[in-house]
Amino acid sequence: MHELLLFASVPAHQHHELLQQLAGLTAMQPRHRVERRLVFKAHRQPGLTNTRVGASQDLQGAELQRLNKMLNGGMFYTQVVGPVAQAEFGAKPASSGGAADVYMSGMEDKLSTPAYCYEDQSWKLEFRDIPEAGTRSAVTARLMASAALPKGDITIPMNAWGYSFVTEYVVEGDVFVLNDIVIFLHRVLLYPSGAQESHGPRRQLPAYRELSPLERTGSYVLQAAITVQDGGNQEMMKTASQHLFGLREQLKSAVRLEQADRLSLDTRAK
Amino acid sequence: MSDSFSLPLRPLIEKRDRPDTLPVDIAQINARWGSFRDVNEDTLRAKIEEEKNRGPYSDDDEGDKAAEDMDTTEQLEQLYKRRAEILNFAMQAHMETLFALDFVSLLLTKHTDRQAETSMSAFLKQVAPLGSLNSEIVNPPPKSEAVAQDVKTVSRGWRMQNFNAAANKLLKSATRLETEVASESKYWDEVLAVKEKGWKVCRLPRERQALGVQYGFMEATPIFRDRGLAALRRADDGSLILDKGLAPQKTRTVRVRVKHHDKFTGCSKVPGSSPAVDSIESRILQARDTVYEEELFHELVREARIMGSQGVTTRQNLVRFPISEEQEVLLDLVDADQDTDDSKMESTEHDVLADALSHSIRILLAYAHRQNLRRRTQPPPPLSQKRRHTPEYQLLRPIMAYLQHSSHVRSLETFMTDIYQVLQVAGLKCEFQAAPFSSVHLSRVHPSIPKVEGLVQQFLMPFESTFSGNLATPQSSFKVRIRTNPAAPPFGTLYDISVNLPQYPDVQPPSRIGSQREAAAALTHFAMLDIVSAIATHGTKLSKERPRKDTLAWESPFPHHGELLALSDDDRGHKLIVSLSQNELMVETFPRSGPEGLRWSPGDPSPAVHSQTWKLDQTGSASLIDFITEVSREW
Repeated sequence: MHELLLFASVPAHQHHELLQQLAGLTAMQPRHRVERRLVFKAHRQPGLTNTRVGASQDLQGAELQRLNKMLNGGMFYTQVVGPVAQAEFGAKPASSGGAADVYMSGMEDKLSTPAYCYEDQSWKLEFRDIPEAGTRSAVTARLMASAALPKGDITIPMNAWGYSFVTEYVVEGDVFVLNDIVIFLHRVLLYPSGAQESHGPRRQLPAYRELSPLERTGSYVLQAAITVQDGGNQEMMKTASQHLFGLREQLKSAVRLEQADRLSLDTRAK
Repeated sequence: MSDSFSLPLRPLIEKRDRPDTLPVDIAQINARWGSFRDVNEDTLRAKIEEEKNRGPYSDDDEGDKAAEDMDTTEQLEQLYKRRAEILNFAMQAHMETLFALDFVSLLLTKHTDRQAETSMSAFLKQVAPLGSLNSEIVNPPPKSEAVAQDVKTVSRGWRMQNFNAAANKLLKSATRLETEVASESKYWDEVLAVKEKGWKVCRLPRERQALGVQYGFMEATPIFRDRGLAALRRADDGSLILDKGLAPQKTRTVRVRVKHHDKFTGCSKVPGSSPAVDSIESRILQARDTVYEEELFHELVREARIMGSQGVTTRQNLVRFPISEEQEVLLDLVDADQDTDDSKMESTEHDVLADALSHSIRILLAYAHRQNLRRRTQPPPPLSQKRRHTPEYQLLRPIMAYLQHSSHVRSLETFMTDIYQVLQVAGLKCEFQAAPFSSVHLSRVHPSIPKVEGLVQQFLMPFESTFSGNLATPQSSFKVRIRTNPAAPPFGTLYDISVNLPQYPDVQPPSRIGSQREAAAALTHFAMLDIVSAIATHGTKLSKERPRKDTLAWESPFPHHGELLALSDDDRGHKLIVSLSQNELMVETFPRSGPEGLRWSPGDPSPAVHSQTWKLDQTGSASLIDFITEVSREW
C-alpha cells in the first residue's frame, strides 16, 4: 500500500478554530484519539546474513532473491501503535486476580476510572518507508504497511523479529474523515523525563497533565492522508493526489498544506 | 439623515433678466395660431386633449394597433421585413463608420504614419499613398453679434436641459435605491429569521453570490443529498422565494395500502397538502419532507429489485409485496394534494397496519442514514479501482420478515391452542407455552450504541419464536423454534421441531420444515403417537393393577397409523383407531374376525363398534382414559 500525505503546521491559538472548520467541512464530529507510540529499531541478527554475495553467474531463485533482499536490504525504524483512552493516564495499575474484583465491586467510583492494564493493550505495527524521491507531484508519497500485533507485552515478539526498543511517546489529536482522506490534527507528547524507566515500554502511564508537548509552543500538525491499495497504479495515485489538492484548495484560507521534507521523514536505520 | 443634508440638484432657474415683451409674444402667437379671433377656449381645450391623448409614443401605439389586427403570418412577414431594415441600417452605419475611419486614418498618416496605417483599409492603402491628405486650421470668418448671441442662448438652453435631465436621473435613482434598500433589508430579515429557526444557511456552491438553505439529509444518497439545498432568492418586493431549481414544487409522499382478497382494506394517512399559512418555514419543511419521501421511495424500489425471488414486484411507480396468502401491501409515491380515491377503499380495517408500515419504513430509512454516518466517519479502506457498492438499505426486508414471522407464529399458536383444547376436552393433562419473538431483547443492546439505534437493530436481526410443551405421557415433550431471517439467505421462515418421546426414541422430525402446514402435520402426528403410547401404557398399567381376564391389553404394532390391537380370551381380535386433527379427536374400536384376518368385513353385522369423538367446543363428556377403560372391559 502507498500513502499520500500533505502536512501543515497549526499554531496552538488556531487549533480550536481549525477544529470547528474541519468539523464543518467534513460534516462530522472529531474523533479524539490518544495513541502510545513505541519506536523500534531493526538490527541485524548475527548469523542470518550468510547468503552468498557476488558470483553473478550463479542465478538465484526468485524466492531466494527476495529473501536476500529482505535480509540484506535497508534496516528501518518501525512504530508500534497502541490506542489508549485519556482516562487511562495516571490510573492505578489493575492488580490481577480475584482480589481486584472484590475491591472493584466494593468501590463504586473505581469503576469510573478504568485502570490501565498493560497486558490488555492492543498494538498495531506501522511500517513507513522513506518518502519517494523526485516525485513530480507536490505530495509526499511513501510505501506503508500496517499489521495487527498480539496484545500485551510487545517487546518479546519484537525482539524475536529483530527489533529493539528505542523510545516511546504519545500522540494526541483528532481524526476527521473526508471521503477518502483521513485528516489527523495531532501533536506529540513526551513522557516526563524525570522518572526514566528501565529499557522497555512503560507498564504504567503517568498522569495526562504531566506529559509535555514536544513542540514547546503547543502547536499542532495537520496531516491529510490517503492510502492507495496499489502504488504501481499511476492512475490511482494521480486520483489520490488530486483529492489531496482539492482539500488543500478548500483549506487554503485556513492553513497551508504542503509536502513534507523528505529527509525529515527518513525511517532508515543507519 | 436625508433631512440633515440636502443638496439642490435641479439648476436654479433665474428670472429672465429681460422678459419677452408683449408685442413679441403677440407676434409669436399670431404666427403660430393665426388670428386671435379664431382662438377660443373650446378649440384650445380640444387641442390640449389631442396632445395629451397622443402622448410621447403615439407612433408606436399606432404600430401596435396595426399589429394587433394582423394575423400571425403577416406579423412574421413584418418581423422579417423589419429585421431586414434593421440589418440594412446597421450595415449602412457600419460602412459609414468604416469610411470615417479610413478618412481619419488617412488624415493622420501625415503625422503618425505607422500607427494610423494599421487602421486603414487595404483598399485605401492601395489607392491613396500615405500622408497624401493634410489638414490645417482655418480661421473662421468672424460671426456677427446676433449669431453669437443665438449660439450662446442655445447652448445655455442645452445646458439647462442637461442639468434637468441629470437631476431627474439622480432623483429617480435615489428613490429606486430607497425601495431597493427597503426590500433588501426585508430579505435579510427573512433570511435571518430562517437562520434563527435553526436551518443551515450557506452560500450556494455553484452560484457564489446566492444564498441557499440546506434542509436535506447529509447522509442520503448523493443525488438526494444534493437536492437538499435550495436557493433563497429575493422577489422584487424583498420577500423570500425558495428556489429549488427544476425539482417539482408538489408535495409528494409514500402511501402504503393493504390489499386483502383483492380489495383495498387499509391506507396510511397521507399528510394534507400544504397548510394555509404559506410561510417560508412551511415551504422549507415541505421541501424537506418531499425530498425524504422521494429518497424513501427510491430506496424502496432499489431494494425491491433485489427481492424479486421473494415475490416482490415493481412497477414504474409501485412496489408490491405479499405478506400472506391473501394479503399484500402496495407502496407508491403520490402527490399529497391528490384526492385519495376513497371510493376504491373497501374498508378501513387495516388502516392501523398500513400506518404502522409507513412509520416503520421511515424509521428504517432514518436508521440507514445513521448507519451511513457511522460508515462515513470510519477510516476508509485504501483507494483501489474496485468501486464500493452501497448496499441496499434494509427497509422492506425487516418488515416482510416481521409480518411473515408474526403470521406464522400466530397461525401456529391458533393451531396449538386448538389441539391442546381438544386434548384437554379428552381429559389429557398437557399444556404448552408460547414465547413469540423471544429473540427480541431490548435490554441486551450494547451500551455504546444509542438507544434508538439499538431499538431498530433488534428488528434487523433474525426473528425467533419458540413453542414448548409436554404431551399426554409424562416424559414426552416437544419444542418448536420458528426462525425468520430478514437479511441473509435462507430467506423465509423455518420450523425447527424437536421432540422427546421416550416410547419412540427413533422418531425424529425432518430437520427443516418450511411451511406451516407441514409443521402442523408433524405436530399432529407426534400428538397422535403420544396418545397411542398413552393408551398402550394405560392398558398395561390397568392389567397390572387388576389382572382380570376380561380386560384387554392394547398393543400398538402400527403406531404411525394410529392403530392398536388387542386379543381377548376367546381369540377375538379388537382394533382401536385413533385419529387426531386440529378440531377433533376420534377413537373407534372394531372387532376383528380373527388374529389372521386383517380386515373386518363390512357385511358382518357388528354391534360392537364403539366410537367416541371429542370436539373443540365440547364439554362434559367422558375422558379418553375412561373410554378406553370402558371398551377394554367390554369383552
